[in-house]
Amino acid sequence: MAINRRQFIKRSAGAVSVSLIMPRFWMGGVAQGQEIAADPNRKIFVVIQLGGGNDGLNTVVPYTDSRYQTLRPTIGFKDTELKDETGASTILGNTSFGFNPAMGELKSLYDAGKVGVVLGVSYANPNLSHFFATDIWSTANTTGAGNGWLGRYADQKLLGKSGLSAVSIGSSLPKALYADKIVVPNITPAGGADPFVNYAFQTDARNIGDKNNQLNTFKANNTRSFPTGSFGAALAEAGFGAEEGAAQLRTAVQGYTPGATYPTNNQPSATAVSFASALKMVAEIITTIPDANLLYVQLGGFDHHSQEIGTAADNFRDKTKGQHATLLKALSLGVKTFYDDLTAHGIADNVVMMTWSEFGPSPIESENM
Amino acid sequence: MASLSYDEGAHLLRRAGFGGAPEEIDDLSARGREGAVDFLINFNQIDNSAMETLLATSFDFSNFADNTKFNQNEIRRWWFTRMTATKRQFEEKLTLFWHNHFATSLSKVQDTFMYTQNVLLRNNGLGKFDDLLLKVSQDAAMLIWLDNITNVLGKPNENFGRELQELFTMGIKDVVTDEQNYTEQDVKEVARAFTGWNYRRQSPFVFQLNASQHDNGSKSIYTGTPWAQTGNLSGEDVITMISARPATARYLTWKLFNFFVYPVTTSSADKATIDKFAKVYLNNNHSIKELVRAIFTSDEFFSERAFFSLVKQPVELTVGAIRMLGGTYNQGTNARGSNTLSQLSRNMGQDLFAPPDVAGWDPNLAWVNTASMLERFNFANTYLTNRNTTNPGIFVTNDQLKSITKASSKKTVKKFLSRLGPLSVGDALGTLRTYLETGDNGQPVTYVNDDPTVDKKIRGLVHQIMCLPEFQLN
Repeated sequence: MAINRRQFIKRSAGAVSVSLIMPRFWMGGVAQGQEIAADPNRKIFVVIQLGGGNDGLNTVVPYTDSRYQTLRPTIGFKDTELKDETGASTILGNTSFGFNPAMGELKSLYDAGKVGVVLGVSYANPNLSHFFATDIWSTANTTGAGNGWLGRYADQKLLGKSGLSAVSIGSSLPKALYADKIVVPNITPAGGADPFVNYAFQTDARNIGDKNNQLNTFKANNTRSFPTGSFGAALAEAGFGAEEGAAQLRTAVQGYTPGATYPTNNQPSATAVSFASALKMVAEIITTIPDANLLYVQLGGFDHHSQEIGTAADNFRDKTKGQHATLLKALSLGVKTFYDDLTAHGIADNVVMMTWSEFGPSPIESENM
Repeated sequence: MASLSYDEGAHLLRRAGFGGAPEEIDDLSARGREGAVDFLINFNQIDNSAMETLLATSFDFSNFADNTKFNQNEIRRWWFTRMTATKRQFEEKLTLFWHNHFATSLSKVQDTFMYTQNVLLRNNGLGKFDDLLLKVSQDAAMLIWLDNITNVLGKPNENFGRELQELFTMGIKDVVTDEQNYTEQDVKEVARAFTGWNYRRQSPFVFQLNASQHDNGSKSIYTGTPWAQTGNLSGEDVITMISARPATARYLTWKLFNFFVYPVTTSSADKATIDKFAKVYLNNNHSIKELVRAIFTSDEFFSERAFFSLVKQPVELTVGAIRMLGGTYNQGTNARGSNTLSQLSRNMGQDLFAPPDVAGWDPNLAWVNTASMLERFNFANTYLTNRNTTNPGIFVTNDQLKSITKASSKKTVKKFLSRLGPLSVGDALGTLRTYLETGDNGQPVTYVNDDPTVDKKIRGLVHQIMCLPEFQLN
């Protein structure tokens, strides 16, 4: 929300003037279509945004806290209920917290010392507008104004690196990646066998035989010379770069071989499959593109309000079912599969992941029912 | 009366509207420069009943509380339907200008008020600027957007008072004289004048002044300047005073030039131009219509510098691609509507009813990056390869495409370039012609404008033209 001090606000929506910086796409210095060798010094950061306001108290459950039990007589978990679907406890060691039963995979990573939980992260007087609260966290600014916190990092550290050094997977670029000097590409998963297929200069699917003619014509027309500094020059350069960069990305990821089995066929849910496939796209990118080190994935739907637990069949009482359980299972299974894949590729220890959400619903269950 | 060539008529229609078919451009040209501008800006005299009928059958906004029929997507679909179907092109383009000028967003303001504001902008966009500014300022959308509803006696909120001066009227610095137009103290004093401005919390959600929250004390504004005023100034007083300042006339002229004519520089020649047209505003009782008329009939507007000097906004690109080619946006109905145009424009960076901030969308190169360019190219592909002419969506029929073709490849390319601009593209003309004469295996083929060729190569040709840097310009 650009209101309080608009004069400090720069542009958003990834709309960076080409005159400022032309993203230099990764240009074949590394053999295309091959996985790259592990580099012990490489540092990769993967951010998962849980959109809609994840219920933190039912994610990391303070099961010994009497106030939790009092405020959540229906949707709250008792200690005896903190068991995953195999019956294994999801209580975190000898702490007074346990994971939601849907998060058995994350519990196993916790036990292996691979997952940490940071409690009570917030700011004074949290804003409960989804939009505004998202802006606040995305910008790390309580006015919600300005570029994203990751975008500001990108402006400082990714200038001059490949145009694929930061990539977002999702329907649109998240505000956290809004920057001034860098355009972070957003890739919308296509679904189907090749999730990258839409990230391309598309041509008539009915006339595949004409595709090369189309591409050749496009390239010839967008590599013509225009007066230096003219809009035409900027448009041609950005246009050609867009097509080439996308093509290079798609060539690169063909070198990827999965090191784990990602969920398919709507099992355990369509949400789990689509989220895991987004993480798989991240794996494809970081295993084949050397300086793709800042990745962003979104898992939405946490604004489920009265649908938090249960289904119609159980009169909305079964805490192991329902929207929240489905989403947390998607998160847990997706992250574990991704982790296993990275382990197989020998780069799991190079990767730090974090999740965040704009806020958690009220502790009082009637208020979020 | 000055004559109006075909190219000039096309330029006028692309800028004052979104572009059109040759018949529309011929009609404008026949009216001459002044006649064509009069026709466009006196849009209330143009019969628009076909669009009204279309809207009536495609939307149901009778109950704002029914969010299955009235919501963010529906108001976007509604505006795109207007822009593609209207006979009053300037009415919609001007509404887009004011939406960008008084940039307000769904990120904070609910759909009902965004819609109401849009109607307000459309109905008041050509009158006296003072009246438009007052209406926008007292409308719920703006009262919410810039927090004036929390601007109360003893606890002023300066957001509206600041943007009123910085973005809606004068700018921090005079665009002609470079003088500072107001101070931080003026922001504080102006904010006091608007304390207690609020809106009724039940239908009708009209403006109301909460008298107990209004600061009736004396305010001093613009102290030490020719516009200094002291007294118990009301919000209305401030709006009237600011609307009369030459700085406002110049700033509005500057915004109109940047939006409709060409990017204005800080050269003394450009400042003189802005000052010249600002006087039209000052000498005509702040009439937006007279200012716009003067700009559109000017030699500056028809100068070589102005032609194709702006990067098309995504909305201009998408709506123009439909209108110039004679394509179709089948918006569908509430039960089964097409959000294609709003989604694709959003992907390119322009989400209607949701500008990025109160300053609106940045123009020209701000639209140009690798991500947005890919979206532009793929919009063209989506449009040109959709053969489903019954479902809601965007498409152009083979019959329509065939009607534009010629017997020779060269004339066909030229005809489409004329249709989509007219564009002057240098060497690309030959490249496009070669495309028409190349088969699947790269072998030369003889061009004939038969049905299979239209469905394949003409669709490909138009896609390619829409990927030219020249087509991105307006």
